[in-house]
Amino acid sequence: MNKIAKLFVTFISAITLALVSFTSSFAKVEGEYIVLGSAISLTGKYSSNGVHTQNGYNMAVDRINKMGGVEVQGKKYKFEIIYYDDESNPKRAAQLAERLIKQDGVHYMLGPYSSGLTKAIAPVTEKYKIPMVEANGASRSLFTKGYKYLFAVLSPANQYLEVAIDLAVEKNGGKGVRIAQAFEQDAFSQDVRLGILDAAKRTGSEIIIDDKLPKELNDMAATLAKVKATKPDVLVVSGHTKGALTAIRQISEMKVDVPMLAMTHCDAAKLSKQHGKKSEYALCASQWHKNLSYKDKFFGGGKKYARDFQKEFGYDPPYQSAESSAALLVFKDAFERANSFDRDAVRDALVDTEMQTFYGNIKFGPGGQNVAKPMILFQVRCKGDDCENRVVAPTKWASDKFYHPIPKWSERS
Amino acid sequence: MEKVKQKDLILYSGLIILGLAAPYLFSAFKVQLTYLCVLIVLAMTWNLQGGEMGYNTFGNILFYGLGMYLTASVQVGMFFPLAEWTESGGEKTFVHTTAQYFQGIGVGLLVSAIIPAIIAGAIGYAILGLRGHYFAICTLGLGIAAGEIAGGIEIIGAGQGFTTPPFPAEIVDTEARGKFFYFLSFALLVGTFIFVKYIYGSRFRLILNAIRDNEDKAEAMGIQTMKYKIVGWMCSAFFCGLAGGIMGGLIGYIDSTDVAFDGREMGVFMVLMAILGGKGTLWGPVIGATLFHFFKEGLWTLILGWQYVALGILIVVIVVYFPEGLMGWLREKYPERFGEVIDEKDRKAQVELK
Repeated sequence: MNKIAKLFVTFISAITLALVSFTSSFAKVEGEYIVLGSAISLTGKYSSNGVHTQNGYNMAVDRINKMGGVEVQGKKYKFEIIYYDDESNPKRAAQLAERLIKQDGVHYMLGPYSSGLTKAIAPVTEKYKIPMVEANGASRSLFTKGYKYLFAVLSPANQYLEVAIDLAVEKNGGKGVRIAQAFEQDAFSQDVRLGILDAAKRTGSEIIIDDKLPKELNDMAATLAKVKATKPDVLVVSGHTKGALTAIRQISEMKVDVPMLAMTHCDAAKLSKQHGKKSEYALCASQWHKNLSYKDKFFGGGKKYARDFQKEFGYDPPYQSAESSAALLVFKDAFERANSFDRDAVRDALVDTEMQTFYGNIKFGPGGQNVAKPMILFQVRCKGDDCENRVVAPTKWASDKFYHPIPKWSERS
Repeated sequence: MEKVKQKDLILYSGLIILGLAAPYLFSAFKVQLTYLCVLIVLAMTWNLQGGEMGYNTFGNILFYGLGMYLTASVQVGMFFPLAEWTESGGEKTFVHTTAQYFQGIGVGLLVSAIIPAIIAGAIGYAILGLRGHYFAICTLGLGIAAGEIAGGIEIIGAGQGFTTPPFPAEIVDTEARGKFFYFLSFALLVGTFIFVKYIYGSRFRLILNAIRDNEDKAEAMGIQTMKYKIVGWMCSAFFCGLAGGIMGGLIGYIDSTDVAFDGREMGVFMVLMAILGGKGTLWGPVIGATLFHFFKEGLWTLILGWQYVALGILIVVIVVYFPEGLMGWLREKYPERFGEVIDEKDRKAQVELK
């Protein structure tokens, strides 16, 4: 009995300790820190993009803090972020949002990675009237729910590849094209699909293959076999990082010839590095590219941001990191204009946001989406074994001409 | 005998008072407490199959997910066209009034209890003839298949997911939603506990045990084992469906494979919790679920990124050191507390003989 009693006491005290450490909650603003909260996917299927997001946030926090921080009512404050790991699971994300708000006392949130998780967190932040600036939830349905405290610095998902279809139609002499498409079954990719459906209707194009891909995406051979048989003009694939990697791997293995390949998440997947020449000519939708000419005083321009990011984290920043950094700039700007820590004042200031960052112009539409920034398309091009992403559309920033059609595998060296 | 009963009475009333007071005492932890209630329900119902009947099922997640989708669909479908609600990117936003919200969730929960029970009956009829590993593998397939199927049905949101109706905006109190779902889940927990306790005192449990210990012998004794197996599974499905329905409303967003038919997490957790506490006991799953939840909430955020490794180690530790669970371990150490009489002299004599 003695032993059991001891065990019991140990257990109880462990729990009490844990509870006490929970409840020693941070305030929204503690000393000289403005505390932001974020649930991020550090494990699970979105872990690589989750880390890109976290790096983007951290980079901006460091930079803003170093350059004087946030000035509210004449006093300088610094940013600090509490992170939790949401395990790429919406259920966990919603629970952690609740925890950040209720137990850690966070009053301002940064978004998670992916549309699905943002969808799960938005009802919670909305309920507690917590302003959330998110950088990685692009699903259109996020912006039609009438959320008042949700602000996204990125363009909605349905715009990702619409331009690609327009390009294909243009190359086809204005006639409709035959589209094959495969999308992961998740909120984001399905929205990209809706964008394609709209574009197809608008341009009189025909969708000949419309496949769904599973969430743990590592095989799409069935779709590709159909593509080989039906010879469409355009193949569209979207399934986050894994989707991009799987598509390139299997297209090159199966030697699938298609005149145009449009995808998402190429830069997050580091396609040009990982697959090199195999990924050449892939056309990718992106929220941002370092060659764009936007500027701000914290990061300078895109190229400088890319250099600094490379120095800090050892890889080229994908747009997921850039947009995440931009979210912090938006928050800083809103705090300073609100000149207060009142949540509703900050929220009202966010509504009026109109600014330029290295990532692009930011102005929020009525649903909370960024309406001031177009999507861009880049194409992977190689010189020898050295591959790079080159912007091909819109023409304002295009550094290269769009290469069409993709040469057949038999003609590629 | 009466003394024991009195002790039980004090224990139960104490727990109920604690349960009722909890959301006020630990106001910031309401959501975690709601999760705890649901986890306990899942562990207890799993224990009916895995512990009492000896049929290790991974399929209970099917009923949980079904309950989730059913509650949400009914809650929306009763007042608005469901297809338009879930239509991806739909521009229309419907708003439930307070009365509609509560009527909807009430009817939804009712449906989410009954339909999974019926489905459990139908599936059970088909597959409960399988035994041992074959049954386990077969049920493992059920949850995975359901997730993939649900991810393809447009009317419930398919891959886009299903946003459940938001809590009525007319209720200004931000705590109300948390309290509502907590008390709902607590009521479910109490209901499940009473039901399982009733089963523990009944002949039904003995039959389930007989099936576990030797199904052929049980059959030879004239027990229609199939009937009891099916009824047992239907009972579990009933409560799992309710648990799913509550969770759907609480989470606010249903995703086919990550939230509803979440075999990888919830499906494994319910087994793990029952084994941790001790399967085949009344209190085992309750204790197991509580410990597990504390472990998860308390430690996981301290070891960001490594929590699943820790979970893996926990599973190994449980299996190696507590193969019978905490209750089983206690029972072995202190059998007299469990009403087992041991002749100390005889035991010593045996040890010395060796």
